[in-house]
Amino acid sequence: MIALADCNNFYASCERVFNPKLERKPVVVLSNNDGCIIARSNEAKKLGIKMGEPAFKIKNVVEKYNVNVFSTNFALYGDLSKRVMNTFRTEVNKMEVYSIDEAFLDFSDLADKERAIQIKKKVQMWTGIPVSIGIAKTKTLAKVANHIAKKYTKAGVFMFDDEDLIRRALNVFPVEDLWGIGKKHAKRLKEVGICTALQFRETDTGWIKRHLSINGVKLQKELKGEICHPLETTIQRKKNICTARSFGTEIKELRKLREAVSSHANTCATKLRKEKSCCSTISVFLSTNPFKPQAKQYHPYRVFNLDVPTNDSIEIVRFALKGLDQIYRSDCIYKKAGVIVGRTIPESQVQLSLFDNLDRDKRREINSVVDIINSKMGRNKVKLAVQGTGRKWKLRQEKLSPCYTTRFSEILEVRI
Amino acid sequence: MKIKYLKHTNYFDFYSVDKTAFEKIPLFEGGVSAGFPSAADDYMDMDLDLHDHLVQNPSSTFCVKAIGESMKDAGIQTGDVMIVDRSLEPKNRSIVLAVIDGDFTVKRVNVNDNELYLMPENDTFTPIKITEEMDFQIWGVVTFIIHKAV
Repeated sequence: MIALADCNNFYASCERVFNPKLERKPVVVLSNNDGCIIARSNEAKKLGIKMGEPAFKIKNVVEKYNVNVFSTNFALYGDLSKRVMNTFRTEVNKMEVYSIDEAFLDFSDLADKERAIQIKKKVQMWTGIPVSIGIAKTKTLAKVANHIAKKYTKAGVFMFDDEDLIRRALNVFPVEDLWGIGKKHAKRLKEVGICTALQFRETDTGWIKRHLSINGVKLQKELKGEICHPLETTIQRKKNICTARSFGTEIKELRKLREAVSSHANTCATKLRKEKSCCSTISVFLSTNPFKPQAKQYHPYRVFNLDVPTNDSIEIVRFALKGLDQIYRSDCIYKKAGVIVGRTIPESQVQLSLFDNLDRDKRREINSVVDIINSKMGRNKVKLAVQGTGRKWKLRQEKLSPCYTTRFSEILEVRI
Repeated sequence: MKIKYLKHTNYFDFYSVDKTAFEKIPLFEGGVSAGFPSAADDYMDMDLDLHDHLVQNPSSTFCVKAIGESMKDAGIQTGDVMIVDRSLEPKNRSIVLAVIDGDFTVKRVNVNDNELYLMPENDTFTPIKITEEMDFQIWGVVTFIIHKAV
């Protein structure tokens, strides 16, 4: 059996750990640049605040109901996530960290509701974060069980232990809420009258294969209790790394875009070196503000395929800037820029090209020295000149809570 | 914090502190005997980890800064950093970080005839009796107090 442990309203819960006054009060967390709602406490959900809603649209609700608004504090959420995962680790032999706030736990040795309740209590006590746990034969069913645990149980734990129970639950479970069913597929399914998970499970497999490909078939098998997605306990090499940010204030000038794009490219390169990978493609993209439909909309991108895979900062930045220069148009105002490095392979498997005239050994030395300095002195202490020093394009985080757990100058202060 | 052995004299050993590796301080078993040359050298492979000493359970341990005088006699003063472990069960006489009606406080637990008190350690403050109506919760147990020597 597999258990899916999922933190309840994770970001909002993180804020509450260090601010108990927020208990039972509506809390929302905004995305980068305070743009959209990305997390809501149950109280905020009840006020009708939607996921992904732009912050300016809920201004009235915020004022009327005293909603507590926070900017994303990734240092805090990341630290608490690590604590939660490490606490899980003390209770199970195998687990797969699935996202910042979810993990699949191996319950094959002992599938027991009581065990899940113990884990939940431990995490609550050690970290202050409430979790819900769903237990079932497959990951897909564990997701459904978790959903039920969160919504309909007081204990926050639910286990699919008999077929009749699974049938009854799937009968009322909307097909679009299933793990891996996107908007497009959900629409297609509904058009032919497949609205619940149970209907999907009973649909002809051939039809599913034709319309939803092999992933749909796997999903159906998982709903029947057949494992298609086993627990992945080894860390997977990231296939793509994307670094992109919305700008605090929109940008028109090429010079500032070049600073942003080169910084993102450098971040990608640093991440590649950290996991000892090289990328074979480099993409750069720009985006205007979709919430200003009256302004000119432009969402260009440019991809480069490399002859020799690389993780060299200078080379990746150079390609990203070349792409930027090609796609930039001076008659648009930009809200977002980003760099994606893709088709990554292990550093050790890079094959050299006959026509390569870059001194890669020398570059490797430069990069490793820069990485060492930056790891000791702080991020971006040494950087490429093109990244600039102004950081006019940096994040807007007006309602940031302190980094309670990662900066000594910002630890929780208590009046005693 | 890494300490590097620099120089030995008749009375003192000198060390340099490497701040970039905030990890380990060498431990000397049995101390250093003055006048006995390089007695320390044989023990340089043993390390004392301050973090290990202060933090038993990293997943549940938090640093909290104290402001106020109510726990002065327990050795907690303004600006001190308290190590708080959430995984420990509070016992009678534990110093705890508690939450009363949404506000944090630090006091000593005192259970007397089935009544729960949070005791300050400063004569000018009064004990707090915890009653049914209060929204009360123990956030964690204070295990160490780091006080800067002046």
